[in-house]
Amino acid sequence: MLKHIIMLVLMVGLMTAVGWAQEEGTATDSVVQQTLAAPPTNVQAFDTPNDNGHSITIEWDISADDGQGLNNVVKYLILRSATPDGQFAEIGAATPGATTFKNSGVKDDEDPNYFPRETDFYYTVSAVTADGGAESEVVGPVRGEGQFFDTRNGPVLVGCLLFTIFTIFFIRKAKSGAKLYIRPLAGIDAVDEAIGRATEMGKPILYILGLGSAADIATIASFTILGRVAKKVAEYQTSLIVPCYDPIVMTVAQETVKTGYYDAGRPDAYNEDDVFFLTNQQFAYVGGVNGIMVRQKPATNFYLGKFYAESLIMAETGSSAGAIQISGTDEVTQIPFFVVACDYTLIGEELYAASAYLGGDPTLLGTLKGQDWAKAGVIISIILGIIAAVTGQTWFTELFHVGN
Amino acid sequence: MTNIGLYFSIGIIVIGLLAILRYSLKGKDIDRRIIFLFMFITVASSLLFKMEFPEKPTLIVKKVFNKIENLPEGSRILISFDFDPAMKPEVMPMANAFVRHCMVKKHKLYIMTLWATGQALMLESIEEVLKPEFPDAVYGEDYTSLGFKAGGVGVLNVIITDFRKMYATDEHGTPLDEIPLFAEVTSAKDMDLILPIGGGAPGPKEWILFVGDPGKVPIAPGLAAVVAPLIYPYYPKQAIGLLGGVKGAAEYESELLRNYDQFKDMDTPALSMMGPQTMAHIVIIAFIIIGNITYFRKRRMNDNA
Amino acid sequence: MRKAPIIITAVVAALFVLSWLLKSNGAVVDENSMSAISQGFWITLSAFLTLAVMSFLYQDNPFYKFAEHLYVGVSAAYWMCMGFWTTLVGNLVPRLSEGLSNWFEVPYVGFKPHFIIPLVFGFLLLMRLSPKGGWISRWSLAFIVGTTAGLNLPRFLSSDFISQISATFMPLLVNWQGIGSFFSDFSLSASGQFIGILSNLVVFLGVFCGIIYFFFSKEHKGAFGVASRFGIWILMITFGASFGYTVMGRISLLVGRLTFIMGDWLGLIS
Repeated sequence: MLKHIIMLVLMVGLMTAVGWAQEEGTATDSVVQQTLAAPPTNVQAFDTPNDNGHSITIEWDISADDGQGLNNVVKYLILRSATPDGQFAEIGAATPGATTFKNSGVKDDEDPNYFPRETDFYYTVSAVTADGGAESEVVGPVRGEGQFFDTRNGPVLVGCLLFTIFTIFFIRKAKSGAKLYIRPLAGIDAVDEAIGRATEMGKPILYILGLGSAADIATIASFTILGRVAKKVAEYQTSLIVPCYDPIVMTVAQETVKTGYYDAGRPDAYNEDDVFFLTNQQFAYVGGVNGIMVRQKPATNFYLGKFYAESLIMAETGSSAGAIQISGTDEVTQIPFFVVACDYTLIGEELYAASAYLGGDPTLLGTLKGQDWAKAGVIISIILGIIAAVTGQTWFTELFHVGN
Repeated sequence: MTNIGLYFSIGIIVIGLLAILRYSLKGKDIDRRIIFLFMFITVASSLLFKMEFPEKPTLIVKKVFNKIENLPEGSRILISFDFDPAMKPEVMPMANAFVRHCMVKKHKLYIMTLWATGQALMLESIEEVLKPEFPDAVYGEDYTSLGFKAGGVGVLNVIITDFRKMYATDEHGTPLDEIPLFAEVTSAKDMDLILPIGGGAPGPKEWILFVGDPGKVPIAPGLAAVVAPLIYPYYPKQAIGLLGGVKGAAEYESELLRNYDQFKDMDTPALSMMGPQTMAHIVIIAFIIIGNITYFRKRRMNDNA
Repeated sequence: MRKAPIIITAVVAALFVLSWLLKSNGAVVDENSMSAISQGFWITLSAFLTLAVMSFLYQDNPFYKFAEHLYVGVSAAYWMCMGFWTTLVGNLVPRLSEGLSNWFEVPYVGFKPHFIIPLVFGFLLLMRLSPKGGWISRWSLAFIVGTTAGLNLPRFLSSDFISQISATFMPLLVNWQGIGSFFSDFSLSASGQFIGILSNLVVFLGVFCGIIYFFFSKEHKGAFGVASRFGIWILMITFGASFGYTVMGRISLLVGRLTFIMGDWLGLIS
């Protein structure tokens, strides 16, 4: 009986031990198989294109155990060394599923984030699990090199070149004496009419050049129109008031008006005090101009140039004073106010067109023509782009892709 | 009780408008000061008696909300306070709503301003919304502020390549390298979303042109109403969505209220502004109609004369 | 001398003092009395300035003029101070002089020799004040104009021009492969395909006709004229929308000010 019991205990003990040993054996096996993932494959390191050279891009195919298989990759570590068999140091990490990493830094060699260019590096990518990393083969040497041209901005270069060619071509054409057609604009025809009206009423004409500096295109365009108005005013012997916001603008405006009077053959009628400096404080200027409108009651008001929040205040005062008003600006936010408060408004580019039309300056005319060709190009591109979109030709859209 | 006051003031406005209509039918102009008076009464009474309307977000606002909502926790979001006190009533509600939404989603917040006058407003948002409502948020780890830097577009041109070249320190004089939030941030390209708020220059347009486009960073601007139509063309490719004026802000606030119970007692300045807005717009429309009647009446009288 | 202005000024002054007293809450005995008194003063002053500016809607008056000039003066001074502290002290000093950085208590970044260039250009700009040497300031202006144009041109060309062109490449028709689902899933919802195509069409026609309107080389007659007319309609609708947005913006400002007057100052709304 005792024998049986001992045998039984021994057998149970043995079986348990074997079972335990077996269990342990399988457990050990699975640790070896499961904790390390398959290493990333097809690792490539190359100089990042279109940069200043202080970076290298590393790309790899994800580990077979990332997202599938054992599904145990927690991150990728990117390791770098100066020699193929040297000490590889960790320089960054990427999330599971990522296939690219940019090893970059700044060009200042005193900065802790310095990344040297023209220096050889070796890289390896490690698929990291809870228990360790599986490193890919080492790639390299690779070095960062700077590029002179950022090819991603190719479309911008093409656009710049095309526009410049159009413009230069037409400026040369205009200078060679070719007649370039510009369609009549409603606002321009009204200019002479408005001056005539002021003459009949025996009241002055008020010309506002806006708040722009003498370097603003809108102000420059306005000078040309002012010259034309001054000439007509001199012919009709009406008076002209030009209050200025900017001292430099005032100087140029005085010259412009003087030239207009000379062209009309009436230099004696020119009075320098007609063109004067008011103030360069926005709302103080408005106050001053409004005062002129209310006191001198000009028959015609011109607002041509750059305008901001004061546009409506002035145009409304002028309108309630009963003047004919002609306005024009390239400030898109102010155009609606001019449209409602004035009789004629030159919208955006029409201001430049009016200036080219009246002045006949070949540079302005040529630029305007060049712009028209650019616009034609835009229309053609859009139509082609839409056809491409309908037919699913994505390469066409890619042609217009700028940046990375 | 408040309703009685509201009905009473609406009654006065309607009677006044009818009287003016009668006047205009005779082809007579009205003094502009009467219009101002009407606007004042309309806005004041709807403010006083708290007139509010429910808001339903439009797609363009919803896209901004969903973007912040769906970014993974800890995403880096930059808010730029590019406005001054004159724009504050319109755009400050947006700024505060963005701050709340980002903090509740546990995003990392980077705050800055390109306007000298934005500095005080930026601090106001931090001191009166961020700190009291999110007392657990730690400066440097959950949010940081770079303060004001002069240079306008120049600042944007630099931070698109490197923050440290423009900002040696944060607003409090701490070097950027000592701020945990900047540990892995080199440039504005490292942001997951940029929310420029404003309406002048430099402002949202410059952010799109000088940071969003070249850096391929998603931008969702909060705009003063005046410039909203100018930024619309950038949607949806160059701006993922936008908030236009106080209406956009109100829609965003309503979306926050709908999705987060914890905000049910929050200040909703934009939503409460929509009552006076709506009433004022109705009165303006009435005046436009009356003005046109006067105009055509007068013309007919002149033709007959 | 007329009496009315004196009486009005006296009334306004009396109201100002009354408001100051009430807003200070009679907290003279309190420990924080100074702050309460100063707070009362600032709120009253803000309210006074707001009302002074608004009084212009009735007619121009000395109170408005006072507020306007105060605003102009304060803002000019504010910008000057901000310019000094943020541009000169904030950007330039830490890159040029360690001694000055310590003096202004800003962290020294390190000597960057190329920052001497903006310093010199800055001085040249100041030559504008000299009647004889004024022309020298043009070099700085030329630098500003040139660099700004150079920096802006590629950015504007890529963002405002090329990207905007490619943003207009939208399908105006149903893709023939998806024509079946177009009819079977037909819906009028804002995110539906039909409305999508319709809005694409509006965008395309708007852009197309808008550009035609600004085409100056050809007289606007016939089909060209029709497109141009449509273009100007689109422009006018845009201006109308812009105007509408501005109205909304301005009313927001009015609401903001009235909230201050009725809430912070008069305490009528919480």
